Amino acid sequence: MDAAELNERLRAFIREQGNFRDVKIANLHKMPGGASREIWSFDCTTQGAKGAETRGMVLRRDPAAQRIESNRRHEFLILRAAFEEGVPVPEVFWLSDDPAVLGADFFIMERVEGETIARRLLRDEQYAHARQVMPAQLAEIAARIHRIDPIKHQLDFLPEPGPNAALTEVQRYEENFRTLALQPYPAFELAFRWLYQRVPKSPRKMLVHGDYRIGNVIFGPEGVRSILDWELPHLGDPLEDLGWMCTRAWRFGADENPVGGLGRREDFWAAYEKASGLSVDPEAARWWEVFGNLKWGIITISQARTHMDGLVSSVELASIGRRTVENELELLNLIEQ
Amino acid sequence: MQDRPTAIELLQAAADFVEREIVPVTQGQKQFQSRVVANVMRIVAREIEIGEPLLRAEVDALATLLGAQKPHLHTTSDVLAAARKFNEELSARIRAGEADRGEFRARVLKVTRQIVEDKLKIANPRYLEADLKMRGKF
Repeated sequence: MDAAELNERLRAFIREQGNFRDVKIANLHKMPGGASREIWSFDCTTQGAKGAETRGMVLRRDPAAQRIESNRRHEFLILRAAFEEGVPVPEVFWLSDDPAVLGADFFIMERVEGETIARRLLRDEQYAHARQVMPAQLAEIAARIHRIDPIKHQLDFLPEPGPNAALTEVQRYEENFRTLALQPYPAFELAFRWLYQRVPKSPRKMLVHGDYRIGNVIFGPEGVRSILDWELPHLGDPLEDLGWMCTRAWRFGADENPVGGLGRREDFWAAYEKASGLSVDPEAARWWEVFGNLKWGIITISQARTHMDGLVSSVELASIGRRTVENELELLNLIEQ
Repeated sequence: MQDRPTAIELLQAAADFVEREIVPVTQGQKQFQSRVVANVMRIVAREIEIGEPLLRAEVDALATLLGAQKPHLHTTSDVLAAARKFNEELSARIRAGEADRGEFRARVLKVTRQIVEDKLKIANPRYLEADLKMRGKF
């Protein structure tokens, strides 16, 4: 489907959904960086009962074939719940799981203006203030996410973690690893042993974002504007989100600051404790950081296979297979400490 | 014997072209993908240059670690098959708990780290450099 046809179909869809007299779509273009998901940006002018209104919008659409399990309807419902609970997220508008509309599941949400490129956050002068305030903001927002009540918001589709969320996660990723890996990775075997021997005893069970990292944050010079990519939420240990934020890949070389290249772990944990009223066990938080590095390593294998298996032809996905080794090195660093 | 330029020289010429001529005139997704293309060509050039000696060193180190005979291997595909076999054996022994503690664990960690660092010399030498610097070994 080319951009002109997508424009036409989108226009018809929005017009019908909102009962608008007329809809105009301008500046429709595909956004860079979505390795597993298509993201289109456009300006939408609607003619309705309240007159004409123009808003920046984003379309999130599944590619024709994919490996990462996700569901646009679930993402839509969780975004709505997060919005209602005061988490900074884009407002969601319309959802479709009818393949006749755009060929795949999709939804449409508000476009939040701002920057998402972590390298700019870490290096540009204009983000000096954002760098200062963001670790505490991210801790506070994490606490807000974890407080979302899944029953109140009817999020009954969220995967259940069983009696121990930490054990469940590591088992799940080991299964993925055994299915996907096309070669042995001894460093990952060492990491799995390390994790199984130290599984946190009684992790909490709360709503976890599941992909809480700097690359999924829209920011401006003043700090966080919006949290994106609600594709992998589940019930689990809130420390999972904190550990993922400290995973090395999201530091983009600013390794002196483990929290997304921005700050120290201890400050981040303290800010989270203050905002959530929950205590952070440093050993459990470290466990989740080790798990995060292993998880990202396994995802790199999965992304490379998406290309190698012919599901999506992409030099970007293919090249990610050669980034797996970065995680092997970091895991050795962490488990040898 | 193929004529000059060598495979490495050809790849470097292609990567230089992408970086100098394509990256500056593209934007967004295309620019990003162009950078990835140049990077991939540089990975392949490094692999052609230093891949085989590193792979042979990996096989020797794993053979010593696992108490196997150092194999005499002629073709590259033989070396690759041996590396695979030894890495599988090492993985199985780690899974069985043999590297959980003691002297064998120390040796496993040392050899595994050397192999991982050698892989990074091809996949991302700058990452390795930054890591060594961070750990005060550079």
